[in-house]
Amino acid sequence: MTTNPATGDMAVEAISRIHDGKERILHEVRKAIIGQDKIVDDVLVAFFAGGHCLITGVPGLAKTLLISSLGRAMDLKFRRIQFTPDLMPADITGSEVLEEDQATRKRDLKFRPGPIFTNILLADEINRTPPKTQSALLEAMQERQVTVSGNTYTLDQPFFVLATQNPIEQEGTYPLPEIQQDRFMFSLIIDYLPKAQEFDVIVATTGAGAEEITKCMDGHELLAYQQIVREMPVAEPIIRYAVALASRSRPTDSRAPDFVKNYVSWGASIRGSHYLVLGAKARAVLAGRPHVSVQDVQSVAYPVLRHRIVTNFRAESEGITSEQIVKRLMETVTPPKSGL
Amino acid sequence: MTDSTKAPAGAPTADLPTMLGRIKATRLAILKELRKVIVGSDDPIDQVLIAMFAGGHVMIQGPSGTAKTILVASLARVMDLEFKRIQFTPDLMPSDISGTEILEEDQTTGHRFSKFVKGPVFSNIVMADEINRTPPKTQAALLEVMQEKQVTLGGKTYPLPRPHFVLATQISQEQEGTYPLPEAQQDRFMLSVAMDYLPEDDEVVVVRQSTGSVQATLRKVMGSEDLVAFMAAIRQVELPAVLGHYIVDLVSASRPTVEGAPAFVKEYVAWGAGTRASQNIALAAKSAAAQDGRSTATAADVRKAIVPVLRHRIGLAFRAELDRVSVEDVVARLVKAVPEPKAN
Repeated sequence: MTTNPATGDMAVEAISRIHDGKERILHEVRKAIIGQDKIVDDVLVAFFAGGHCLITGVPGLAKTLLISSLGRAMDLKFRRIQFTPDLMPADITGSEVLEEDQATRKRDLKFRPGPIFTNILLADEINRTPPKTQSALLEAMQERQVTVSGNTYTLDQPFFVLATQNPIEQEGTYPLPEIQQDRFMFSLIIDYLPKAQEFDVIVATTGAGAEEITKCMDGHELLAYQQIVREMPVAEPIIRYAVALASRSRPTDSRAPDFVKNYVSWGASIRGSHYLVLGAKARAVLAGRPHVSVQDVQSVAYPVLRHRIVTNFRAESEGITSEQIVKRLMETVTPPKSGL
Repeated sequence: MTDSTKAPAGAPTADLPTMLGRIKATRLAILKELRKVIVGSDDPIDQVLIAMFAGGHVMIQGPSGTAKTILVASLARVMDLEFKRIQFTPDLMPSDISGTEILEEDQTTGHRFSKFVKGPVFSNIVMADEINRTPPKTQAALLEVMQEKQVTLGGKTYPLPRPHFVLATQISQEQEGTYPLPEAQQDRFMLSVAMDYLPEDDEVVVVRQSTGSVQATLRKVMGSEDLVAFMAAIRQVELPAVLGHYIVDLVSASRPTVEGAPAFVKEYVAWGAGTRASQNIALAAKSAAAQDGRSTATAADVRKAIVPVLRHRIGLAFRAELDRVSVEDVVARLVKAVPEPKAN
């Protein structure tokens, strides 16, 4: 388990173990989820990279089922918080309550941990809650700890947040500010299933009951695998390519293409470059490959960059989305020749 | 060393040259540690250190993801200071910053009393993130605490820990839902540091490190009581009178209402820098000299301080926006227009 090519055998062995583990997880999750292959793949990449996901999509697309099935297959604790306009920070982090000892009748303040103390947290409809409450979640996500009344409590490991947003057009929403969105590794878009698959869902869910999901990995293994992902070597030209994709999306960058200067008000931060590389590493490892390719970077480009590029008013009036900007960036920035 | 006879209370017992030697060595040790985690230009680190060694608050400008939090949190670790971050939001309340009183009951007597629960401002370094996303009352609460170095609630006063620094960030004014910090409140920050995206080569280095498996560990190189002693020593550094006059001339030339202000100032500047700017340039120059181990400030020390001290203290007129003139441009022209005293 090292990046040293001389002892690469151990790494290769570890990588094939991760690949097998992933196949087993997929097999289990498939018992509960029909379709949505891309989303399942991307969520797994984020899991193995140790990043958080933001999912945008209308209700009723099996987001909860997907994430709770993953949790069961990986033997991780799972909690869900429904974000509402009246949710308070303490409803997430926990609070101190006055407790009386039955025997001594002594009263004492005791910390009662909130739902954030779990391995997998589904933060449902995060944009229905006011900013201070959103920020309590994001801060805990970033720092992996919460502070209540001056005491600091460390969150469980691994810790993974999957936040869902309903599309912004719906009323009564508090859109997440850009800097807060930047904390999520991936932004995923979940769409309706094709008709044929929706039919399969009806058949499966109204029948005799689904197959049990059996656990095939645990939290300790996942943490070790995350470490292996980080130990994966990446060639210099691949990192340069990822950095170029992110930095050319900034309208202030001297080498930014014209469509960026015309249509983008905010480009991707350095967290964009970071997650392009980390995501590419995780994707290569999950595919059982001991090297990272240009393709790995490109396949995480949309989920990494789409929420980090903010288009301007002109783009909006001409119907140009951040998605299209990412597409054109990939057409413009030349990938290194040697990378497959 | 003109006023070394009346050193402030809590001043070091060591003599000034010894203290200056320690200050210089400490700065180098801090830089060496920070280099493990921060890649790119030294300027932002230098400027933050100039302010902190002089006991001043700092405004940090720049887009998201430019290692602002990493810089501040790393500084806290190597300087052995307690660090808290407050994310400012539109619904943040003054009590979320300073703290609140809660009712508690005495276990034996059943007597109820109120107890003060300290807010995050009770920390050596407070990072006030996106301060202009919060409404004025909450901004004012922070600035009041910064100024008074204490929180008063229910008739009782709670002093802040010493040293106490606020390092604030702001989001770009063009973004929606911002409450710009009034000039008088910006003025409370000793200097403002601009952090920008790194050159591509540096970004490659950062990404290789941040996605790898080895995490740098930072060693603490000083204690918080050292810093309090350094602050006292820096005030004993001498600023030659010619430089003092130069600072005053330069700052007053930034005021469009003053007679004899340069034409470009009258055209592009809505309001100029106040007296606090002059004081802070002088103090920053002394701090820069001390960090170089010198007991006298030079013109070069003053030059280092001008841009960061003036950047957030000059308000541009509408005309400047039309002609795409920035505050940095105005300051650069001021420096050209007011002649620096010749070194003797």
